[in-house]
Amino acid sequence: QSSSAKSPDYVYFDRTTAGFSDDAVPRAKTAQLKLEHFYKLAVDAAIERNTRRVELERKLAGDPGMSEDRKQRQLQQLGKRESAFLRLRRTKLGLDDFRTVKVIGKGAFGEVRVVQKTDTGKIYAMKTLKKEEMLKKDQLAHVRAERDVLAESNSPWVVQLYYSFQDPAYLYLIMEFLPGGDLMTMLIKYDTFSEDVTRFYIAECVLAIEAVHKLGFIHRDIKPDNILIDKDGHIKLSDFGLSTGFHKQHDSAYYARLLDSANGAQSPTSAARNSVAVNAIHLTMSSKDQIATWKANRRKLAYSTVGTPDYIAPEIFLQKGYGNECDWWSLGAIMFECLVGYPPFCSESTHDTYTKIIHFQQYLMFPDDVHLSREAEDLIRRLITSQDRRLVVDQIKHHPFFYGVNWNAIRQIDAPFIPRLKSITDTSYFPTDELEQVPEEPVGGDSAGANKDLAFLGYTFKRFQISSNAF
Amino acid sequence: TSAQPATPKPLYLCSPFVEAALVKGNFKTIVMQPKYTDIMEWVAVNIFEFYQNLNQFYGVLAECCTQQSCPAMSAGPQYVPSRIPRGYFLTQNPRLNYTWINQDRKSVQLPAPTYIDYVMTWVQNLLDDENAFPTKSGRDFPSNFPSTVKHVYRQLLRVFAHLYHAHYPQILHLRSEPHFNSLFAHFLAFGKEYELLDVKDIKGQSGAVVGVGALWERWKEMGILEQ
Ligand SMILES: Nc1ncnc2c1ncn2[C@@H]1O[C@H](COP(=O)(O)OP(=O)(O)OP(=O)(O)O)[C@@H](O)[C@H]1O
Repeated sequence: QSSSAKSPDYVYFDRTTAGFSDDAVPRAKTAQLKLEHFYKLAVDAAIERNTRRVELERKLAGDPGMSEDRKQRQLQQLGKRESAFLRLRRTKLGLDDFRTVKVIGKGAFGEVRVVQKTDTGKIYAMKTLKKEEMLKKDQLAHVRAERDVLAESNSPWVVQLYYSFQDPAYLYLIMEFLPGGDLMTMLIKYDTFSEDVTRFYIAECVLAIEAVHKLGFIHRDIKPDNILIDKDGHIKLSDFGLSTGFHKQHDSAYYARLLDSANGAQSPTSAARNSVAVNAIHLTMSSKDQIATWKANRRKLAYSTVGTPDYIAPEIFLQKGYGNECDWWSLGAIMFECLVGYPPFCSESTHDTYTKIIHFQQYLMFPDDVHLSREAEDLIRRLITSQDRRLVVDQIKHHPFFYGVNWNAIRQIDAPFIPRLKSITDTSYFPTDELEQVPEEPVGGDSAGANKDLAFLGYTFKRFQISSNAF
Repeated sequence: TSAQPATPKPLYLCSPFVEAALVKGNFKTIVMQPKYTDIMEWVAVNIFEFYQNLNQFYGVLAECCTQQSCPAMSAGPQYVPSRIPRGYFLTQNPRLNYTWINQDRKSVQLPAPTYIDYVMTWVQNLLDDENAFPTKSGRDFPSNFPSTVKHVYRQLLRVFAHLYHAHYPQILHLRSEPHFNSLFAHFLAFGKEYELLDVKDIKGQSGAVVGVGALWERWKEMGILEQ
């Protein structure tokens, strides 16, 4: 009837959600969002696939030396990989698709294992995360958001995540296996590094952290256990949406409480554990003892849910707000540890460490018995400093300590320690003998067995590596 | 305009709903088989995803699709095009009902929710069947894969057809029409490209245009789908 309508069959429809059940509207919204996500991915995937093909075709066209036959074969190979990748989108994975080769690590929420995918024989690292523990610590939301974005990174500086699945009790992450162990294990083994070796690792860390920042992330919890070593001896940062940096314990409120307790208002737990001795140790600073205790506990600390605060910047627990400069503080602390043998604020108790970090001006000390070059000490002091004075990435790269570093080619040069591996499943760089309590095979949440899932759709199947042997 | 008993045109054929879309542009980009890939893999993953997406929407609408509201698996009254542009009139044979072939190979009428539940369960089981839709490395597709896919496509098409016919107002209430339209347009474009779409299934008796068949024609006119 309305003559002003755009088209003769224009109709008005009164929308209402009156007749629906309570969860129909949110469910509809979810379905809409999922479909939006689905089409966004479908378009991206089409574009990426096209790019891979065009690049290969161009490369082959520009190679007059190669026979037509070989070119055809290469294109067919690409087709095979693309087809396998398509198949992956339909593949539901479960625990029973993997076989444990060895337990290699323990984290706050579960363990890390070297596994073999049974149908392809390919080797991966599988991290298990106990959902219940993570829920207690409000981790799941973080996991999801951080990983969705991180999964899109193709950075050589970040450990690649291939896919994930879950059962009622656990989340499983399948990632590339880095056989060289981690920097913590290396530091436990070597105690200290020379300045040249330190320069290599710290320079690589600079690029890795920069890459993470460019992705729009702040790591917040960079520490030697999160710096992994690949088969060539170069570093990668481990998946950090999951790092202890996001644990509730590292909340500002948590620190505030701890600091309060350090200022006299003792919390029941710390009172029970340490009673009066806390202050005494704190005041005397007999460093040798503290260092010995710290070293003895280093790995235990890494396995605990609380994690070590040794590398965390003061602004993170001072509720002042922070930006990505907090990661450069952590790097300063790691550099200190590489050269000196322990981190700058290590103490017998975590809350002594907090106190020292907050009052870093008083507590940052370079021991007399270790010789550091002027440049090294200067760089550390410009990283372990207040937010406004801390160097930013370009200043760091231009610091005299890094004189001679070729920032564009560092990943191509020979690393100072190249792991000597007997096989692709060699785990000799991991402290496997210390992990006896851990079950060989993951328990799995569902005793009935395979509860397969297309978990984290959209994230899960995004990994495609043109050159890789993934899957 | 006329004395004839015109039935109201279905909402999905009316403006602005008929043009509502989440995905704009040519579906070719995401329908065409990527060069050098295996066509079986391409079709398999697409069918898999159509199923997942449709199932997601059916999950939302299921509460409205009951034995009472939908005693038959219907895809709508049949319309014959009249001379009046875009006007459709009811004919003698008013409904397009789909029948399910039961275990005794008998064709039976089922209430829509039962029918759809059968379809979705059947498809899910097929997709989970390593023999029908292999996922393990090195496993090949069975030789009857094309015919399986054709069957699956046909049944999913019926679910779409029923939802358009019987539940479009609810889709509108839930503001899902751009999403649902695009999913269906994509589904049609895909079916056309790989010869899975049997026009018979969305048209009633010869020459008549039924339910979503009219939508299909309309989208072709509008350029949303290719002629
Ligand atoms: N992709 C990998 N390849 C090889 N080893 C790994 C890999 N991921 C983790 N590890 C080993 O397992 C140990 C624990 O892993 P990770 O640090 O990721 O777990 P976590 O302690 O739960 O995490 P966070 O450090 O965030 O608390 C690492 O220190 C490392 O030795």
